Amino acid sequence: MKIQKSFQMALNMVLHSRLRSWLTIIGIVLGVASVVSILAIGDGMEAEITSQFEDTGGDILTLTAGVSSAKFSRGGGSSESSSAATAEEMLITRNDYQTLNGIVDIIELNPTISGSVDIYYQGESGSVSVSGVDGAVYKEFSTTDLKDGRVLTGSDSNVIIIGDKLSEEYFERELSLNQILTIQDKAFRVVGILDGGGNSVIMPLDTAYQVLEDKVKNEYDAINIKIKDEEKLDETIELIEKKLMMSRHVDLNTKDFTISSNAALAEMRQELITTMTSFLAAIAGVSLLVGAVGVANTMFTSVLEKTKEIGIMKSIGARNKDILMIFIFNSGLIGFVGGILGAILGYLMILLLSVAGMPVVLTASNIILVVSISIIIGMISGLIPAINASKLSPVDALRSE
Amino acid sequence: MESKIKNKKIKSNINNDKPIVKLQNVSKIYQMGEVQVPALSGVSVEIFEGEFVAIIGSSGSGKSTMMNLVGCLDTPSIGEIYLKGQDISKLTESDLSTLRGKSVGFIFQQYNLLPTLSTFKNVKLPLELQEMDDDTADQRVTEVLKSVGLATKHHHYPKQLSGGQQQRVSIARCLAANPEIILADEPTGALDSVTGTEVLEILTNLWKKERKTIIMITHDLKLAKKYASKVIELKDGKIIKNVSNKQDI
Repeated sequence: MKIQKSFQMALNMVLHSRLRSWLTIIGIVLGVASVVSILAIGDGMEAEITSQFEDTGGDILTLTAGVSSAKFSRGGGSSESSSAATAEEMLITRNDYQTLNGIVDIIELNPTISGSVDIYYQGESGSVSVSGVDGAVYKEFSTTDLKDGRVLTGSDSNVIIIGDKLSEEYFERELSLNQILTIQDKAFRVVGILDGGGNSVIMPLDTAYQVLEDKVKNEYDAINIKIKDEEKLDETIELIEKKLMMSRHVDLNTKDFTISSNAALAEMRQELITTMTSFLAAIAGVSLLVGAVGVANTMFTSVLEKTKEIGIMKSIGARNKDILMIFIFNSGLIGFVGGILGAILGYLMILLLSVAGMPVVLTASNIILVVSISIIIGMISGLIPAINASKLSPVDALRSE
Repeated sequence: MESKIKNKKIKSNINNDKPIVKLQNVSKIYQMGEVQVPALSGVSVEIFEGEFVAIIGSSGSGKSTMMNLVGCLDTPSIGEIYLKGQDISKLTESDLSTLRGKSVGFIFQQYNLLPTLSTFKNVKLPLELQEMDDDTADQRVTEVLKSVGLATKHHHYPKQLSGGQQQRVSIARCLAANPEIILADEPTGALDSVTGTEVLEILTNLWKKERKTIIMITHDLKLAKKYASKVIELKDGKIIKNVSNKQDI
């Protein structure tokens, strides 16, 4: 029997199949739909990270004290973990700033300090995190868009930029542009509101030294570094590390600072997302596996049901391989129909998630992959029942009712 | 006078040179648990091209076993079966299927049509199994359906047809591949007498006009005497009578 005729016979069997076959198909549909949507969610998250990475730029590095593999962090200072070296050695200071300033591959530097402060606004109080930045270069390093107002400039002193939550939700009355917020008994005028940023407060570095009392002038929690050539990221990091090790009188073993890049951070997050997506896809894969067991079960029953028909076909000249092909195509078709319907259901789920604001990306290659897997699973599940069917003795098969 | 003419015509149909089917000391034993049940014991018979052979016997006499063996649906436990000169016990499963598809046509008591295929597709199936090209197959199916009076029933499904019509579809399917041998297992068993007669008339026509070799299983001696040119009677798996018709049955 020609392949296409075997296929037509199998299609005829699926079209005339009973409710049980359709229930099996539903099992596959649910498995495929969940795999498709999980892959789309994973891809969506990855795409968002990539776009965040593009927003922040891969050309920004951050210098912090301590090494990232260390076990404890310094209270009140940088939230980065630090090394087991003494506190004195772990500071980032004006010296480091100057060392960095001398490197030609660096365009801008933004020394920052941060800490927790008490705030007051129209009789209400609270505690938020404040960051001090170099107003002159802040624009170059800012990763969050402004919703309202302006960014800091080099000549600013008692002004602040605040996060959207602090502006809209923190206090009973909205803290809007040009309002005065009291921080540590000093008055600050809001000049900009970020589109994001939570409850944070950003102010010029010099002013921050005044409100963050434990901070010492010319000592920083971090220095943000904007490099000239993003393509030479690794070389530049190497160069910076070399210069800093020289100026800080440390070697690779006693290194007491960390340079982290947005690119590395993004890569790390991407790896995390990939791991998470793989894990979720594996769980969804289990439901596909359950579907496969369903296909095998249906095919075994189908062979039992169709024993007589197999006998008839053998009596009119069907060879074992003809019967085998028909049943393999039959189970493959169950996988295919389940795969296609599952992809459609998955697509609808993705649409819903996307309407709900979840980042999702549906790629044709994912759909093709999942539907192909579904067909292969169907065929493999149907293989043993198909072999059983093909080996039936025509006499015994004809005798069955 | 009429009977003499008929016998003459019958004789002219039969080619006595070489048997188309030959069973040589054939036994078939079924294993039922620990017990061996002989269904056929030492059967030897020759059937020549153009014969209309009726195999009669009561239930359990071995009729169906003999038909299955002749139709290459089963192989003997002992002995040899030659179909068109080929020893079927030496053929592979695939060759046996091909031989069955091309040389033997089955007509069953319960018609055995595939319920999910239309009349046309049921009849076309043996040709598809032989990988015949679609146009030739379609033409052949149209011809055979017309020959059994079902030219207008191409798109009907088995359940939409009467018993007699279903048996005619079964005959058309059997004829589609133009086999030399037609094996009919109680072809009228499920039909009323009028429809049964119509079916037997079709078989007689095939025998007379198309020179088919027909082997019909029946328990009805009258039918055997009326239509067959040779009657073989089985009892307990053995041939107890093998006589040409119009003689001593």
